[in-house]
Parts: sequence; structure tokens; C-alpha cells
Amino acid sequence: MGWAEGAPHNDPAVSRILAIAWKDLRSTMRNVPALAMMLVAPLALAALLGFAFGGGQSFSISATKVAVANADTGTAGVAENAGNVVVGVMKSPDLRDIITVGDKPSAAAARTSVDDGKSTTAVIIPADLSAAIFATSPTAPMAVVELYENPTQEIGGAITESIVGQALLGFNGARAAALAASGLATANGDGERAGKLAQQAAETYMRDGGAAAAVSVAQRAPRLPGGESTKDVGVTGTILAGMMIFFMFFGANNVARTIIDEDRAGTLPRLFTTPTSRHTILGGKYSSVFVTVTVQAVILLVAGRLIFSIDWGRLDAVAALTLVAAAVASGLALLVISLVRTPAQAGAIGAGVYLVLALVGGNFTGTAAAGGTYAQIQKLTPNGWLLQGWDAVMRGGGLADIGLNLLVPLLFAVAFFAVAALRFRKRYA
Amino acid sequence: MSIVEVQELCKQYDPPKGVLAVDGVSFHIDKGEIFSLLGPNGAGKSTTISMLSCLLRPSGGDALVDGHSVVTDSQAVKEAIGVVPQDIALYPDMSARENLLFWGKMYGLAGAELHARVDEVLELITLVDRQKDRVEKFSGGMKRRVNIGVALLHKPRVLYLDEPTVGIDPQSRRSILDGILALRDQGMTILYTTHYMAEAQELSDRIGIVDHGKMIAVGTNEELVRSVGEEAHVELSVDHYLEGMVERWADVPGVTKAMIDEERAVLLVQDANEVLPRLFEAAAAAGSRITEVNVTEPNLEMVFLHLTGRALRE
Ligand SMILES: Nc1ncnc2c1ncn2[C@@H]1O[C@H](COP(=O)(O)OP(=O)(O)OP(=O)(O)O)[C@@H](O)[C@H]1O
Ligand SMILES: [Mg+2]
Repeated sequence: MGWAEGAPHNDPAVSRILAIAWKDLRSTMRNVPALAMMLVAPLALAALLGFAFGGGQSFSISATKVAVANADTGTAGVAENAGNVVVGVMKSPDLRDIITVGDKPSAAAARTSVDDGKSTTAVIIPADLSAAIFATSPTAPMAVVELYENPTQEIGGAITESIVGQALLGFNGARAAALAASGLATANGDGERAGKLAQQAAETYMRDGGAAAAVSVAQRAPRLPGGESTKDVGVTGTILAGMMIFFMFFGANNVARTIIDEDRAGTLPRLFTTPTSRHTILGGKYSSVFVTVTVQAVILLVAGRLIFSIDWGRLDAVAALTLVAAAVASGLALLVISLVRTPAQAGAIGAGVYLVLALVGGNFTGTAAAGGTYAQIQKLTPNGWLLQGWDAVMRGGGLADIGLNLLVPLLFAVAFFAVAALRFRKRYA
Repeated sequence: MSIVEVQELCKQYDPPKGVLAVDGVSFHIDKGEIFSLLGPNGAGKSTTISMLSCLLRPSGGDALVDGHSVVTDSQAVKEAIGVVPQDIALYPDMSARENLLFWGKMYGLAGAELHARVDEVLELITLVDRQKDRVEKFSGGMKRRVNIGVALLHKPRVLYLDEPTVGIDPQSRRSILDGILALRDQGMTILYTTHYMAEAQELSDRIGIVDHGKMIAVGTNEELVRSVGEEAHVELSVDHYLEGMVERWADVPGVTKAMIDEERAVLLVQDANEVLPRLFEAAAAAGSRITEVNVTEPNLEMVFLHLTGRALRE
């Protein structure tokens, strides 16, 4: 056969798109610095930060050491001692992981323990605590429980304060109710009996503690729309999700940048001299970006599972989040590349855009657990929505719980991609 | 029968102020011939190739390739052509074979046919035993060969080669030129650009000389040389009696001019082959021995000089 007898060949566009995507994916896999950036960096950072926050499984803080000096002498006619009740609450087994209580003979000894750094906080219970609580007159003097804290140990102080405060709040509530009842009884003419009743009510409350409480408060992280939160989210998973999306931006940027690189190297113009249409070629490039970041995400998710035993949650929801995240990263990177002219600009402008989005979106600061205003600010970014979705799925949520967390970023992705495609069409018309 | 018809092709980069890189160029290429565009740097050769490859839209004019307009029917044009760009356009991190397979797919080849074509091309560019090596590890000449091989995968009807021998050793150049002649002998039509006069002269069936975006002369090598009426230079040295000999040679038929340049005689002759024996006879008759002869046939270099007043720098 001669060399000039070519007839048109009609291999379908899809297979050419795949050929371009496969070529770019393979070339990324051979690029060690790119791999380090796409895979090693997020894993290493997640490991490091996860370790810094302790344990790798959940946020845990070592138990706060509290010195207690209980001087409460009780009050005449009442068996219960309020000071002992407060100390009992602090020593309850439920709180063992949070505070360790050491008894001190005097207020001075307790303060010294803090001054010497042996304790974080001293709780000093006055002699007249029981007297104040069981007083029958509303004008009885107020007792003051003193918290003496090392100012550098804010968290320990806050924890102690909330535990002690909780206990005292209960007393105050009981006393207020009793006084109200006694006020009613006094109005009915039996002042002394009413005072006794109030005292008894307070005492009963004290003895039974919170056991018969009608209302209790349980602490939970803010919820995304959807089912009840039941699972504890590992901190490493939360961090890795943020890092993964952040580094997916860079992974996508790496591949999208090859459009400029290939333009300069002459392979893109050469592609344009082949019978493969420009739409197919650019479509191939877009696919390269998407395929590469999807592979990056899957590797990171699997690595997170294997290395850090992260439970990512339900497979269908994770798959959907991964694909939408890949679409966002691809669309954004293509948009950035379509706006710049040189590889240097692609690097600098890309890095700036991704960093700002990551800061606003919360890639470095954890997810929706932050709550409040910040959760709203996160929602200005597609990555913020994705992270909140990821958080919900890690807490046991399913597809039904993350509809908006998929839809909103997808709309972002489509918008990014549309603008990028328009710009590329113009540039390579 | 012409397979390429270029009509008043123009290209202005960045109008309205930009360079008029190609300025009303017209020529045609017959089926099965090698046509060279010969011109110095910046003459507009690559720009012309880019327009004929549908890579650049002409600012004016049109070209028909295999009967299809590069302006309105680019898809059909691209099916018919193979383009070897001036700068090597390959993926350096991929092997020669991987490159060929990828580009073959872009030309629409697939499956067994693709692999067979890649094997054939590797054979042709004599890189069968290096096919698994990454292109970045190749020598300049080997890269050039792969660069050409890519454009041959789909058996194009017209092959464009834009300065394919720049910056390589004489041996690689030789093998590329021989390869091009072999392709022509198998019926491929070739558009070749170069600024090497000798290459154009050796390869081409016809040559277009371009300068500053304009086609200043077109024809066969002989036609071009004859058109400017250039003559051959004959330089002669004799053992003695140089001045007397020059006077005698001046009278030999076919010699239009004879002069002395340092220790040699320099003659301008219309046809060196015809005149040389007479020059020897005249010397023998005068009792002189010719010790050195140097004949320079008129060439494209002279044509270019004649037409532009400038040398075609090599
Ligand atoms: N992309 C471009 N933008 C603006 N001007 C250009 C561009 N490409 C080429 N030119 C100008 O067009 C003119 C012709 O360039 P071209 O590359 O076609 O020449 P050439 O004959 O191929 O030269 P060489 O032998 O150096 O390859 C030159 O003046 C060049 O500076
Ligand atoms: Mg050129």
C-alpha cells in the first residue's frame, strides 16, 4: 500500500475525548511533584492537624484539674449540705474524663494549688452556702462560690465554671420555686409552716438531684436539614474532607493549565490540524480535568479510610458529593485558566482564588460544626456547601439530607464551566 | 492536475496595524510533486502553512486543498492533509509509540488498523527499537523523525513539512530528505518549506521563492535560474602565463566575460559543460597546464540575490 491513499476515518468523538483524557491522566500520574501536591499534601496535612487536635477520632481535651475547698458548715434543721452536693456533682463518674477533683483543707490551700500550677481552677465553697440556700426568708444574705482560675487555661476554667454553675443554677431554681410557694402560703396566713415547706422542698430537690428532672439539655452539634444526628464525627475525617476539596482545586488547575502549556508547546495547534474537531479537543481537555480530580478524590477517600479509618458515610451520598466536588473543582480551574494567558499567571491567580475560597468556605477550619454566622458565610462558596454536605454524611446523613449541598455547588460548577467554555471558544475560534 | 490551489492568500496579524505576514500569495501544487517555499526567516512560510492547515483564518484570499476551501470546508481539508510543524509538537513524557498511537487516534484511526499504521510508521522513521523510550530522551534528529511520522499515520494526500531539517546533523538530514523523496515516489504530494537553498534545489519539482510575504518567483529550478539570466562561474588556475591565457579564453565562444582575480582566472560562461573542453584546448595550444578548475553553476542563491539584492542567509 502506498503512503498517500488515506480515506477518511470515522472513529467517534467520544473515543477521542477519552483518548485525550487518558493521555492527560497518565501524564499527571507520571508527574511526581504534581502527585505529591494532589495526594501526599492533603493526607500529610490531615494527619498532622488530626494529630494536633488529638487522638484522631474526636476533639478531646485532657481532664481539667480542679482543687476544691468546701467550707460549707450546713445549716440548722437541714440534713443536706449544699457544699457536699456540689462537690458530689463535680466528682460524678460522668465527668471523670473532663475534670479531676482534688480536695483541699482550706481556701488558701486551694488557691496555692492553682498558683503553683498544680490545678487549673480552684472552687471555693463558702461556709454559708447551705444557710443561704435553705434560708426561709427571701431577703437572706447571698452566698458566693468563688472560682479561682489560672487565666491562661481558659478552656479548663470555662468547663469548671459551667459545671459548678449548672449545679448552683439548680439550687437557685429550686429555691425560687420554694419561695414562691411559701409566698403563696404566707398570703394564706400560715407564715411559719410555709417557710418550713420551702425548706423541705429545697432539701428534697437537693437529695434527689437531677434524677427526677423534668427537662434536661443534651449537647449536640448544629444539624443540617435531615435526620437526627447520631454519629460522632472524627476530626481527621473533617479535616481531610476540607483538605481534599482544597487540593482538588489545585489538581484541577494542574490539568486545566495544560491547555495553555499545550498551546505554547505546539501540540494544541497541532491537534487543531487533525480532523478531530475543536469541540472534541476542548471537550477532551475538560474531561481530562474532571477525570483527574475524580481519581484524586477517590484515592484520597480510600486512603483516608485505610490510613485513618475514617468512616465517610453512605456510599451513594459520598459518591454524589465526590462527583459534584470534582465538577466544581474542574469548572473553577477551567474558568481561571480561561481568564489567564501564561502558565505563571495560571499558578499565581489560581492559588489566590483557591485560597480565598478555601478560607471563606471553611476548608481549613472544619465544617458546619462551627455553626452560627460562619455557617452562613460558608454558603457563599460552593466548597462551603460541599463541606457542610460532607459533614452531614459523615454524621450519618443520606442523599435526602444533602440535596441543596449537591444542587448549589453543581449550579456553581455549571456556571464556571459555561463561562470558561465561552472564553475558550472565543480564544480558539 | 493541481491538488493545491492558492489564490491571493493574505494574512495580517493583529489588524489593522500588525505585520502583513503573507501578502497576496498565489501558487498551485500538482498531484504527486514536491513544491518548496524557499525564503529567509520571517518570509511568511509558516504563516502560509498555518492558513493551508486551517489553523489561521486568512485575512484575504482562499486556497483549495484536494478541492476543498480552507475557509469554508476545513474539516474536509484536515482529512486530506498531514502537517509537520516547524517546532517539534510531541508529548515529551510519552514514548514514541504512545505519541504515535495518540496522534493516530486524533486522525480517527482505531483498533488493529491504528496499531498496524503505527508499526509501519515506526519502520519508516527507523525507530522500531527505540519506540518504547520517552521522546524527551531522544536526540534532535530522532524527535524530528517522530514529528514527521505523526503526520504520516493517516496516509495524507498532501503532506506539509515546515522546515523539518532545522538544527539536526547531516546524517539525520540526509535520511529525512531521502524519506521525503521516497514518499513522493509513492505518490504523495508534498509542500515543503525551507531557507536552505540546496534542499529546495535537490528535493523540489518546483519552487516558490518568498520574501516579505510575497511570492517573488515560481518555477522549476532550471526555469528560475534561466529567468534571471545568470551564468556559470568558472575559476581556473594555470602553472604559468596567466595573463596571456585570460586574453585567449576571452575569445573562446560561449565565454561572456574573463578577468583575473588574485592568482586565478574567473570566467562567466553560458553553459559550463559545453565551454570547458574548449578552455582546455586553448590552454594546451598555448602550452599552459591547468592546475585547478572550479565550476559554480548558477543557483537559487544567485536568483534570490538577483531578485532582492540580498543574500539568502544559510
Ligand atoms: N503569531 C504572530 N503574531 C504576530 N506576528 C507574527 C506571528 N507569527 C509570525 N508573525 C510575523 O509574521 C511574519 C512571518 O512569520 P513566519 O513565521 O510566517 O515566517 P517564516 O517564513 O516561517 O520564518 P522562519 O523561517 O523564521 O520560520 C514575521 O514577520 C513574524 O514576525
Ligand atoms: Mg517558519
